[in-house]
Amino acid sequence: MIVAQLEGQPFIRWDWVWDHLDEIWQRTVEHVTLTGVAVIVGFGMSLLLSIVALRYRRTYTPITWVTGVFYTIPSIALFAFLVPITGLSILTAEIGLVSYTLLILIRNIVAGINGTPASVREAAVGMGYTDRRILWEIQVPLAVPVIVAGLRVASVTTVGLVTVTSLIGQGGYGAFIDRGLGRNFATEILVGTVLSIILAMLLDYALVRVERRAAPWARRQVPS
Amino acid sequence: MSDPMIRLQNVSKTFPGSETPAVGDLSLSVPEGEIVVLVGPSGCGKTTTLKMINRIIEPTSGSIEVAGINAVDTEPHILRRKIGYVIQQTGLFPHRTIGQNIATVPRLLGWDKRATEERVVELIDLVGLEQEMANRYPAELSGGQQQRVGVARALAADPPVLLMDEPFGAVDPIVRTRLQDELLGLQERVKKTIVFVTHDIDEAIQLGDRVAILNVGGVLEQFGPPEEILRNPANDFVAEFLGTDRGLKRLSLIPIRDVALDTGPVVAPGDPIAAAHHVAERYGVDWIAVRSRNHLHGWLPLDDLAGMDSVPGEGLMHFKTSLSVDASLKEALDAVVSSHTRVAAVFDGDRYLGMLTAEKISEEIVQ
Repeated sequence: MIVAQLEGQPFIRWDWVWDHLDEIWQRTVEHVTLTGVAVIVGFGMSLLLSIVALRYRRTYTPITWVTGVFYTIPSIALFAFLVPITGLSILTAEIGLVSYTLLILIRNIVAGINGTPASVREAAVGMGYTDRRILWEIQVPLAVPVIVAGLRVASVTTVGLVTVTSLIGQGGYGAFIDRGLGRNFATEILVGTVLSIILAMLLDYALVRVERRAAPWARRQVPS
Repeated sequence: MSDPMIRLQNVSKTFPGSETPAVGDLSLSVPEGEIVVLVGPSGCGKTTTLKMINRIIEPTSGSIEVAGINAVDTEPHILRRKIGYVIQQTGLFPHRTIGQNIATVPRLLGWDKRATEERVVELIDLVGLEQEMANRYPAELSGGQQQRVGVARALAADPPVLLMDEPFGAVDPIVRTRLQDELLGLQERVKKTIVFVTHDIDEAIQLGDRVAILNVGGVLEQFGPPEEILRNPANDFVAEFLGTDRGLKRLSLIPIRDVALDTGPVVAPGDPIAAAHHVAERYGVDWIAVRSRNHLHGWLPLDDLAGMDSVPGEGLMHFKTSLSVDASLKEALDAVVSSHTRVAAVFDGDRYLGMLTAEKISEEIVQ
């Protein structure tokens, strides 16, 4: 239906793009901020919840169950539910965005910390490491690749989800898509979509670089 | 025997939820500077026993002394920093370079940076690795190299005691043999008190100054030098565990150097043919060996002498295997059974020392 309405327009109208560079920049800042805050807050909360889950093993299942429910709620429904409480605000957007990062991040943090090979742990104990030092000097650094993998998935997902928050007056690039759909204007939809994809890819690449830096050992392979 | 470095007294361990003890009332003393090997079938509690020494497993009862200190009264992580620990899967830290791995215990003990660096260089040499490997990660090394790093790491803070839990169990047989030889060479220099766990009786016999043979439930069946255990197994269990080739295993422990050699049926080039026949007859053989002073030229059948004027110095057959005096009687026996002449010719470098026959070798273990 949408396609039908867009027929007859040029694929992209560059004059519109040149006229809206200021707004594009403003939406970029908005999109990056919404994503960044969501991932950073989500990561912080996930760290806390993971520490709880690691220390009190029984809590792991309930924690993943609850965050799993968050993860499965359709985002549009979640925002509709939150608006009466928190309004058409950034807070509403962030509550939604953060809650979608939790499951992925907690799972990866816990799996990363628990993934220390038994032999490595045994050797560390046998050489006189205390439990605290094993956690910080061995388990945490060894978990870095798995945790960063979780951050990559969470970030890319969040960049996509931010566009949905345009429904509650936020949205970054989502605002272009929303408006373009309303006005049957292909260029605007395209700009919003393509920029969102590029942002997701850039963020993913940046995190790959972070991982290589933080865990140089993980990329080296046995020769021959 | 001076005070033992490690003393287990009436040690037992029963794991929670288990009716029978994994180790029951075990007493064992490990003399300073010796390698003691704990060996036995699976379920014999050898690894449990080892792990009680550094308290990775807490004994249910009994006392354990390490270097005169009561292990149970010492904070576990303090005790462990004084005990080198080598395990089968190496347990190297994947995120640390080889150099950093070796420096682990010195770092825990708070050594200064420079002393630690010097120690790492020294240890890389000691275990026969290349200095350039210090900056690589464990995943970049072969299994044998990783195991050497494991040994270097255990030795880093110069602990008096080394515990080794099947350290060579996961490498291929060729590498294993080399690592075993290297460990013995290393021990010549460092003289540590080593407790070594294996399920391989041949490894136990080769490495142990003393061998403790354990039965299921941590029952000590026999404890003594391998030669003694092979000569005189305490009971049927030990005899069966040693296998049906006990005689051969004993031979592998006796160096040729310890045995008086016979000159053998030798003549010199230019000796009369009659003399050659006479020597061969005395030895009851149909061939003679030819030598001048310390050089053995080879051998030839008596039949080939027919028509010759005197014993030749050339055109002789060679002894296929020339044995070093450092080889074992087992290797000598192998040379005997695979040679036409049924003897093993023994050399010290190029110098001919004498011969061994199957009878002579047999005497060594039957006497």
